[in-house]
Amino acid sequence: MIDDRPREAASYTPDDVAASMARGDGGFGRDQQSYYDHPILQKPHWGWEIEWYFYLGGIASGSALLAMVADRSGQSASAPLVRNGRYAAMIGAAASGLLLVMDLGRPERFLNMLRIVKLKSPMSVGVYALLSFSATASLAAAEQLHADGVLPFNLARLLPKPLRLLAIGASSALLGSYTGVLVSATAIPVWFSGRRFLPAIFVCSATSNACALQLALLALTPGSHVATMRKLERLEAFAAFGEVLLLQAYRRSARSLGDPLFRGALGNRLKAGTEVLGIAVPLVLNLSSGFSKSSHDGPVHRGRTLLAAGLTLLGGYLLRTAVLRAGKVSADDPRAYINHMNPS
Amino acid sequence: MSDETPHTTMGFFTDVTLCIGCKACEVACKQWNELPSDGFKLSGNSYDNTNRLGASTWRHVAFVEQMDRLEPDLSRWMMMSDVCKHCTNAGCLEACPTGSIIRNEFNDVYVQPDICNGCGYCVPSCPFGVIAIQPDDGRAQKCTLCYDRQKDGLEPACAKSCPTDSITFGPVLELKAKAEKRVEDLRARGQEVQIYGLGEQMGAVGNLNAFFVLPDRPEVFNLPPNPVLPSTFQPAAYTSLAVAIGVMAVASFAIFGKNA
Repeated sequence: MIDDRPREAASYTPDDVAASMARGDGGFGRDQQSYYDHPILQKPHWGWEIEWYFYLGGIASGSALLAMVADRSGQSASAPLVRNGRYAAMIGAAASGLLLVMDLGRPERFLNMLRIVKLKSPMSVGVYALLSFSATASLAAAEQLHADGVLPFNLARLLPKPLRLLAIGASSALLGSYTGVLVSATAIPVWFSGRRFLPAIFVCSATSNACALQLALLALTPGSHVATMRKLERLEAFAAFGEVLLLQAYRRSARSLGDPLFRGALGNRLKAGTEVLGIAVPLVLNLSSGFSKSSHDGPVHRGRTLLAAGLTLLGGYLLRTAVLRAGKVSADDPRAYINHMNPS
Repeated sequence: MSDETPHTTMGFFTDVTLCIGCKACEVACKQWNELPSDGFKLSGNSYDNTNRLGASTWRHVAFVEQMDRLEPDLSRWMMMSDVCKHCTNAGCLEACPTGSIIRNEFNDVYVQPDICNGCGYCVPSCPFGVIAIQPDDGRAQKCTLCYDRQKDGLEPACAKSCPTDSITFGPVLELKAKAEKRVEDLRARGQEVQIYGLGEQMGAVGNLNAFFVLPDRPEVFNLPPNPVLPSTFQPAAYTSLAVAIGVMAVASFAIFGKNA
C-alpha cells in the first residue's frame, strides 16, 4: 500500500546542483559543507494556537499585575482600572488554557502535564504558572464580582490578602515571561542566541500591551480617568522603550544567528509592525495627547487613545508571531547550527 | 549524571566505513516497530529518498557522493546509518513536562507512548533533530533502541539485519573499546577517520550511547559538529526574566504609587 501523506519536498533543486557544481562545493566535492542542505534540527509544530497563547497570556498577566498595583495604591480613582484589569485577566486566563490544550497533539491527555513538577522543563514550569495564574485571577475576579454586587459573598476571603497578592504577583509575572525562557532553552539557533534578551523582551511587551488594553478599556468606560490613563501611558512608554533597546541588543549579539528574525519578511514585520507601528506611532500619539491642555477631559481624545492602543496591541501580536515563526526558519537552516560557535 | 558510563548501558556503534547502503536497517526498523510508510517520493539527490530521521523514520541511511572531477580517483561514496543518539544528557528528556520520556534500565532514552500528550517541546530541544511529532498520531516518536526486544534479550532489529556489522549493538563500554581499536586500525592503513559522539566534542550533551566512526567531518553526514544542550541556556534566560520583572515592578509601583 502506498501512503500518499504529504511530506517534506527535497530542498535541493536542479539549480542548486548546477550552482554547486559551478562553485565546486556542496554535495559533490570534498569541501562539502552540509548534507544536501537538509535541516539538522526538527522544528516545533506550534501553530496559531501557541502564537495567540503567547500573546494573550502576556496581556492577561500584565492586566492582572496592573490591577494589583492599582489596587495597592489605594486610590478610588484607580477603581475602574482595578475592575477592568481583573476581568481581563480572568478572561485571558481562560482563553490561554483553552489554547494550550488545543495545541496538544493529544488534547485529552492535558492532565498528564500534572503528573510531575519538573523545574528543569520550562514547559512544566509554564503549566504550573498558568494553573496558579488561573486560580489567582479567578479569585481576584470573584472579589471584583462581590464588589460589583454580583456575588453575595467574597470568595477571595478564602486566602488572606498578603498571600493573595503574593500569589497573583508571582504567578502573573511568571506567566508573562516564562515563554521567553521556553523558546530560549531549545537547540534552535535564533532562539538560544537571544536567551539573554527574549524573556525580558516578552516582559516589556506584555507590560506595554496590557497598558494599551487597559487604556482602551478606560477610554470606553464612562467617566473621566485622565489621571490613571496618564500613568498607564507613562508605564507603557517605559516598557516600549525597554523593548526597543532589548531588540537592538539581541540583534547585535546574535549576529547572523538572528537573521531569520531580523532580516527578510519577518525582519520587516518586526521593524515596520512592532517597532514603528506598535511602538513609535503609539508613543507619539500618547505624547501628543499628554501635552495638549484639554487632556483633562478624557473623552476628547478617545479616538486617539483607541488608535494608539490598537496599534500597540497589533505590534505585540506581530512580535510574538515573528519570534515563533523565526524559530521554524532557523531550524530549517543547517548552516546556522553547524557554525553557531562562530556566527558571521 | 556523571560521565562514567555504567556497565549496564546498552547502545549502538555504527561504523560508517563498513556501511554498504543496503537500507536493511531502515526496513527492519519499520517492520519491527510497525512504523507507517513515508510515501513514494524520489529526492533527486542520491539513492537516499528518506532524507532524514523523523517520527516514522527511526533509522535513516544517508548517501554521500563525493565526485572529484579533477582527481576522479579520489571520488568516493559514503553511506551512514543515522539513529537516535540516546544522549547521556538528553535534551528531549530534560524538556519533557509529563515525564513521558524516561531513561530505562538499559540507560536508553525511551518515550512512554501512553503518557506523551504531544506538547512538542522535546522536538526543538533535541540537539540532533531526531524526535518528532507524528502528525496523524499527535505524539512524539523516536527510536526506542528496541526496548521490547532488549527486554527479551534480543538485539535491536536494525543491528540484527545489518549484513556487514556496520551497526553493532552491545554494552557501550565494550563498543567504545571496539570503536577505538577500529579507528587505530584504519589510521594505520592511512585512512582518516574519527569517532563522533564520545569525549569533549559533545560538550554538555556528554557521551552518546549511539556513536559513530566517520570518514569525514560530521556535518557531511548531517550531524552537528557542536551540539548544544538546551537546558544550559536556562540560567541566562531566567536571569533575563528576573531582571526584567524586577525593573517593571519598580517602575509600575513608582508610577502608580504616588498621588495624581
